[in-house]
Amino acid sequence: MTKPVNIREIILGILMEVIEEEQYIHIVLRNVLEKYQYLEKRDRAFISRVSEGTVEYMIQLDYIIEQFSRIKVQDMKPVIRNILRMSVYQMKYMDNVPDSAVCNEAVKLAQKKGFYTLKGFVNGVLRNTARGLSDVSYPDRETSPAQYLSVRYSIPQWMLNKWLDQFDYETVEKICASMEQESRTCIRCNLSKASKEEIMDKLRRQNITVKENPYLDYALEISDYNYLQAIQAFKEGLFQVQDISSMLVAEVAAPRWGDYCIDVCAAPGGKSLHLSDKLNGSGYVEARDLTDYKVELMQENLERTKRINMVAVRQDATVFDGASVEKADILLADLPCSGLGVIGRKADIRYKMTEARQQELVKIQRKILDTVWSYVKVGGTLVYSTCTIGTEENQGNVKWFLDNYPFRLESIDPYLCPKLRSETTKAGYIQLLPGVHGTDGFFIARFKRTE
Amino acid sequence: MALRKVRIQGDPVLEKTCKEVKEITPRIRELIEDMLDTMYEENGVGLAAPQVGVLKRIVVIDVGEGPYIMINPVIEETSGSQTGYEGCLSLPGKSGMVTRANHVRVRAFDENMDEYVLEGEELLARAICHECDHLNGIMYTSLVEGELYNNEELPAEEE
Repeated sequence: MTKPVNIREIILGILMEVIEEEQYIHIVLRNVLEKYQYLEKRDRAFISRVSEGTVEYMIQLDYIIEQFSRIKVQDMKPVIRNILRMSVYQMKYMDNVPDSAVCNEAVKLAQKKGFYTLKGFVNGVLRNTARGLSDVSYPDRETSPAQYLSVRYSIPQWMLNKWLDQFDYETVEKICASMEQESRTCIRCNLSKASKEEIMDKLRRQNITVKENPYLDYALEISDYNYLQAIQAFKEGLFQVQDISSMLVAEVAAPRWGDYCIDVCAAPGGKSLHLSDKLNGSGYVEARDLTDYKVELMQENLERTKRINMVAVRQDATVFDGASVEKADILLADLPCSGLGVIGRKADIRYKMTEARQQELVKIQRKILDTVWSYVKVGGTLVYSTCTIGTEENQGNVKWFLDNYPFRLESIDPYLCPKLRSETTKAGYIQLLPGVHGTDGFFIARFKRTE
Repeated sequence: MALRKVRIQGDPVLEKTCKEVKEITPRIRELIEDMLDTMYEENGVGLAAPQVGVLKRIVVIDVGEGPYIMINPVIEETSGSQTGYEGCLSLPGKSGMVTRANHVRVRAFDENMDEYVLEGEELLARAICHECDHLNGIMYTSLVEGELYNNEELPAEEE
């Protein structure tokens, strides 16, 4: 016997886990697709599209729902509000699904989930939405600019308010707009193994679209491929997947022949590998992280790219390691952060992060910096980086670090292409913004130990 | 692991009554292993021996709580009813609405010929009924109420 599956019920299950139980969408979706790998490609695509889209546009969908419901979304039963969200998403963003089908399926699903008494409510809200969707009046860009951005791009209001404090309106809008663009895959060519031309040639022979990058000549953007693991040049270890912003960390660290490097939160290891490549077989890179799992991840990369001057080790960055004191010419502190620079890649991060959680992260970042600063040799370099946007975790921590430890900022202009140079890079740090720089949102600062 | 070819509706083997198993032989052990492998490979929740072309009273079932192996199963008692879609590996890609008992008590022998009694509800009860029917040459299609649907066109279930 086989048990038929209801695609919309599967999607509802994903949304419940991601939105109500705070699971990560990429993990939940991967597990679901693995479990239902026998489904047709079309069904699998529908599951991905509707669950990802619903999460990405949740704030906007809730706004629309509240135009047609007397009950606030927050006061609804979780099952009901997620049925409404996924239904309104299909109505607004998927022309090939007729509204009547969306309504019928939603009503049946509500009933199946045990909400017989709410059938009428679901039906009413969705039929009204179907009729009135094109006439919904959204917040006005001129009269309520912050709310406009929040609803248009589905970004939480508190997050926007912080960005609006720090950047001008146009910049914030660019950041928001970039979040809904399809994210690119960037790769770093491993030039010690092959020339960029050879790698581009190999990729193109597999019909992969390749684009060069304006900031770094060894970086490429690739698209039109199915699985990374199926790319010949990847199997041969000729490149590493890494965003441009993350590549800039090793650029800014600028290791010299023979340098000893410690990367205190290294997994999955992209920046460490980059340092190791730059050292050309000399020196040493210690890539540390918290768990065996993370160390194993790095080990896989090490084996694939076969190198001699790098090791992956388990070491909790918040626990002081006396043996490391004044050992490092270069210390990378790429620390756990709120990740707001990559919400274009991971749509659910924006809802999981709160101001309180961000404060917690700042505490962890400071605890780590306080633990590891002494590993740096006098005259050595500490590079601090995060993949987030916002003063608390970035400029705020830079100031705090300078105030409390024997370090000074050092200009990073020598390591950046002219396009990226600015007042702040001259001072020693850069806030990369998606939509402005064409990279992930990212922060990098370079310090030199003075005594 | 060995996979066996699943017979598709129209194959006369699916319309015959199966014979009781007298004793466990190495061949029967192998058959049971292969039936489990085949069921998991095809994402089924149950499989009966005639579906792999063997006219013996053996079924395997796994509705997600681990496998049950039932040799010479006899349904002793049923109660309640459930109406919902079911499908069959011998008719891939199709489903139809079937009413079944909601609670079933079945007596059977395991792979060591030890007798046991199992009570199942809902999906497990449905699977037991569906597989035991196979042993008597009955396909679920003869019980379908309304149309037989292609799975991709399946309407949501009303309960």
